[in-house]
Amino acid sequence: MRREIEHAALPQNLQAFRDFIEKACRGAGVELSVTRDLKIAVDEACSNIVEHGYARRPPGSIGVSFEANGEKVVIRITDRGNPFDAEDAPAPDLDSDWRSRRVGGLGWSLIRKLVDEVAYGSDPKTGNRLTLIKKTSHADPGGGREED
Amino acid sequence: MEITTEKRGPITVVAIAGSVDGMTAAALISSFRAEVSGGNIRIVGDFAQVEYTSSAGLRALLETVKETRQQGGDLRLAGVTPDVLRVLELSGFTHILKIFPDVESAVASFPA
Repeated sequence: MRREIEHAALPQNLQAFRDFIEKACRGAGVELSVTRDLKIAVDEACSNIVEHGYARRPPGSIGVSFEANGEKVVIRITDRGNPFDAEDAPAPDLDSDWRSRRVGGLGWSLIRKLVDEVAYGSDPKTGNRLTLIKKTSHADPGGGREED
Repeated sequence: MEITTEKRGPITVVAIAGSVDGMTAAALISSFRAEVSGGNIRIVGDFAQVEYTSSAGLRALLETVKETRQQGGDLRLAGVTPDVLRVLELSGFTHILKIFPDVESAVASFPA
């Protein structure tokens, strides 16, 4: 089962990306806890592209594809914005007290905690691609009969 | 996202309904800032109707916690749903925020 969606990289489209993941997961029989985690991870990734990927330039598009094969869900998020280097992301601050707590890097930290595998690649010709993989125990490889 | 504000004596209850994300978090920050700048530094965030928050929502919470506590007040959360609680836990926010089962207990937790 494979589905994909594309929207402009605008804050008002974040809900559409989350709705897409929820619907695709439901169509594939993915359990609710995995669905929840994937929605958060995709939202954080798309938010980064909206905020940083197309910073100081007109917003392009974000493509999100969803595949479930019975054992795992594979999500690919593509854009043609500024490449993201995970090494540049600030280290998340998860332990400081409220006075000195910082929130920078939380989005990327959440993504890493919510999925099992993360891969990122950037190519001048094909753009940026973030791949998120999460194991699942209930995904139906024959799912996807539900219409968009 | 919809925000409703209600005074309960010296406590301000800010009830949020819907999703807090990169689109809506700015409105939440504005709402909290308006309360704090108006001297309302004892705030309960009613999250019972919040179905989702991203790290953008956490920024709003952290800023308000800092602003209120530095002035002797606090932002406390009530009715946090399991999905929102997961984001708070994974981000280490359950260590710095006071969370209560419902608005009544959160309001009552402030010293008279």
